[in-house]
Amino acid sequence: MNRSSLGARLAPLLLVGLLAVSLANVGLLDPQRLGRGVMNIGVFTSAMFPPNLGVLETVALAILETLQIAFVGTVVGAALGLPLALLATQTLFGPWLTGGVRLVLAIVRTIPALLWGIIFVVALGLGPGAGSLGVGLYSLGYLGKLFYEIFEGVDAEVLEAVRSVGCSRVQLARFALLPEAANNLLAQLLFMFEYNVRASSIMGFVGAGGIGYYMLGYIQLLRYDALLTSILVTLVVVIAIDYGSARLRRLYLPETRRLS
Amino acid sequence: MAEPRASGQDGPVSDQGSLAVETRDLWFSFSGGGPVLRGVDLDAARGQVTVVLGASGSGKTTLLKLLKGLLAPQRGSIRVLGRTTSPGGRGIRLDAAVAYIPQNLGLVRNLTVLENTLTGALGRMGALPALLMAFPPEWIKEATGFLERLGIAHKLEEKVYNLSGGERQRVAIARALMQRPQLLLADEFVSQLDPVTTVSIMDSVRETVVTGLTVIMTTHELDVVARYADHVAVLRDGQKVLDLPAAEVNPRLLSQVIKV
Repeated sequence: MNRSSLGARLAPLLLVGLLAVSLANVGLLDPQRLGRGVMNIGVFTSAMFPPNLGVLETVALAILETLQIAFVGTVVGAALGLPLALLATQTLFGPWLTGGVRLVLAIVRTIPALLWGIIFVVALGLGPGAGSLGVGLYSLGYLGKLFYEIFEGVDAEVLEAVRSVGCSRVQLARFALLPEAANNLLAQLLFMFEYNVRASSIMGFVGAGGIGYYMLGYIQLLRYDALLTSILVTLVVVIAIDYGSARLRRLYLPETRRLS
Repeated sequence: MAEPRASGQDGPVSDQGSLAVETRDLWFSFSGGGPVLRGVDLDAARGQVTVVLGASGSGKTTLLKLLKGLLAPQRGSIRVLGRTTSPGGRGIRLDAAVAYIPQNLGLVRNLTVLENTLTGALGRMGALPALLMAFPPEWIKEATGFLERLGIAHKLEEKVYNLSGGERQRVAIARALMQRPQLLLADEFVSQLDPVTTVSIMDSVRETVVTGLTVIMTTHELDVVARYADHVAVLRDGQKVLDLPAAEVNPRLLSQVIKV
């Protein structure tokens, strides 16, 4: 048996071994603990029902704040991300500038939204302002990358034709890149907003506003029926946002309209 | 490695001389490939329609891109409207006096017919008015006039993605005319159109030549030569194999020269 076929036979065994060690280390091979967990889930679930409708008004106001955090965050991310994405587009600028901007976007993207939330809570104090900026910075990192990839996908012949009329880079961006990429930009923006609604709903865990603050409070006070109300309200809002985005896509994106 | 690109131009555009274009011993290859053009000499007289014929891959598109300054030659010289480009020299890419219509037209699909036409004037517009799309009323009148002459003024506000092939061709001509060019370079200009639309489009081009515009167009449609060309050049495998006044050629000779 040669070395490569021996390696191929041992690889699955190695994988199973690694999985067993990892499961033991994270405590999932402890039957007593697992049994206790199942019972706890049962208690937790039964304590959630029926949902507490007495907190509906509080939860509704909190979800409204969450939506505002997501909206402001998405707009901030897009407003900052769009110009940075143009500066990172290799069909417009040279490698030094595009490389530098891409590095900044990568660094911003590495930090999770929740961590940005903590940073802004430290900087600005508790509240939805910190959450909005946290979501905004996180969106900037992602939208910046998605946008410059969209710009670089614009048909080279269109760019060549518009550039050859003798226009500047700013004019090229305004009259060729942005209109050609508009549909894809809108699609990514809607996706980011949907994502940000979910991300904003846990911003309250670190004191950065929104429904997460109440969810954490209900968990700590063992008010699971109120927690269920906030989860259900969040679910309804997320479904409504998904539906609304789908309608907007059909309205503004001709490709989607043709396929529907 | 990217192919060499021209980036500026030596000397001002000149109205002197009877030739709009002169190339001498023009050679070009893309990186890693064999020569696409091999020692091409081409003269195009001012105010005339020069048709460059040749099978696919004969070097027609590359020749036009060199004349526009989108590519720079490796050997030989190019003189366009009195300005010379030499190997390693500066090119004429951003010269609005030379209009270029690429094979697939390079129109911006999400802009309207009027907006696409107005992009032809970007070379003489400042950055801020361009960003705000604040075109002077006289330019809008000029653009509308071109579109009327080309028979597409009734679709002024229509997005380009809704237009037929012939209608798009007319918009591309209007955009080129908005540059107020002295030379129009058109690549495979009517090759994708039906015969009736071809006649209509070529009649419009012929009309503009009366006003002093020089036209160099590539095609593989022999019928176009008989009706519209003043001068004919044939490329085969990157070499010029025929160069005659249109009156001295006939379709049988042309098809023989192209295919041999």
